[in-house]
Amino acid sequence: MTTMERPDLAAELRAAILSADPRLSKFSPLRRILTYDDFNSGAHGWTELLGNYNGNGDLSTVDDHMRDFRPPQLSNCTFFDIGSHGAMTGSYALKLATRAYQGHTATAIRRLTMSGRGLLQIEAYFTFKAEATIDGSAGDQFGDITWDGNLHPSEAQFGCFTVATDLCGDGGLRYHTVARYLNTTLDNNLSRQWVYPIVPEPTPREHLEGKVKLAYGADFTAPDPKDWHPFGEPQELCYNEVPTKVNWHYLRWVIDTAARRNVELQVNDRTMDMSAVPVPPYKERYDSLENLLNFYFSVRTHSTVRNFLFLDSVLISTEW
Amino acid sequence: MRQVQTAVLERDTTFVSDFATEPYEVAWAGEARWFVHTLAASGDDTEVRLVTQISPDGLTWCDLDGHEHVVTGPGLVTWPVGQFGQWLRLRGTVAGQSPSTTMRIYLTVKS
Repeated sequence: MTTMERPDLAAELRAAILSADPRLSKFSPLRRILTYDDFNSGAHGWTELLGNYNGNGDLSTVDDHMRDFRPPQLSNCTFFDIGSHGAMTGSYALKLATRAYQGHTATAIRRLTMSGRGLLQIEAYFTFKAEATIDGSAGDQFGDITWDGNLHPSEAQFGCFTVATDLCGDGGLRYHTVARYLNTTLDNNLSRQWVYPIVPEPTPREHLEGKVKLAYGADFTAPDPKDWHPFGEPQELCYNEVPTKVNWHYLRWVIDTAARRNVELQVNDRTMDMSAVPVPPYKERYDSLENLLNFYFSVRTHSTVRNFLFLDSVLISTEW
Repeated sequence: MRQVQTAVLERDTTFVSDFATEPYEVAWAGEARWFVHTLAASGDDTEVRLVTQISPDGLTWCDLDGHEHVVTGPGLVTWPVGQFGQWLRLRGTVAGQSPSTTMRIYLTVKS
């Protein structure tokens, strides 16, 4: 019997192969795996995002809010109390680390292009931490958390993390899809809410045209807090009490580049329908970006404590 | 093939007083090298003394060795680093009358 005579055989074989591969069996990839990164052999093209500069390579022309997103690091998750924690898959994870500056953002971006249109999915195993404070300056209270032997003030020192795209095609039509976990409000109270922006990200061209000028530490994805709206119900993740214990979470996010729509976001045991989450395109067309397919992760601190986003592994797959 | 990575720890940053770069994790690497590109300097007798620092936890730091690398004006200065453990950073001491220096600081690490 051939696969033509039994069309589900190919799917069964594929499922068997995926489930028997310890690298892939923890993922649910779409038909074509574009990239697989476990960060035990480098950063795999996940790099720092930087704003645009002028024809002379003069970096003073980079927008203030996009000039210091910090280089990603290969980390084996070492902490002051227990030493090396290690990652989920091997020893190393990709680490995004902010400065200890309120509002500062760190990024890692992966730059690809689209060879088709349709469903596009990113999966990741991630965790998030605020940097431990050990010099006696922190105290037992921060935001709305007072240390009680279970909840630790470190959890209120973590602001938010974001997964997003930058997509363009079909004659320069550019848009972003964005999902952010808002762990705390800007005044450091626990929020634990998934949010999305209702406006497209301000661009260097808009700055050059005098339409926008943002300060260092501004939220580059959408600077006005009022432009972030909730979707789904609040979701508690496993921060695990103190800043030095690492538990890996599963994330799976699907978008549709044919319809330029969000589809759904799964984080651990919860799947949120995102089909009604709008995807606002830029009003003006962009050159030089045909078939642009960028994914980025970012982490932003709402405190004066460094915030970290660790990625154990990331898989990008498509239906095209 | 060996792994190698270059991080730009400071990008055209202007320093007018003492500083330390952000912590950078290099546990996977066997060797490292600093490249400090001074783009501009102003003031009288401006002098920046740069020292490699290491840390077991990214929180507490000490000097790696007794070497000070002195920058007085534009140009590129480099030195190798070995036997460093988990984290690397640079501390800089800025001296002079109304000193100001603009630097791009690269850390290149290799397995």
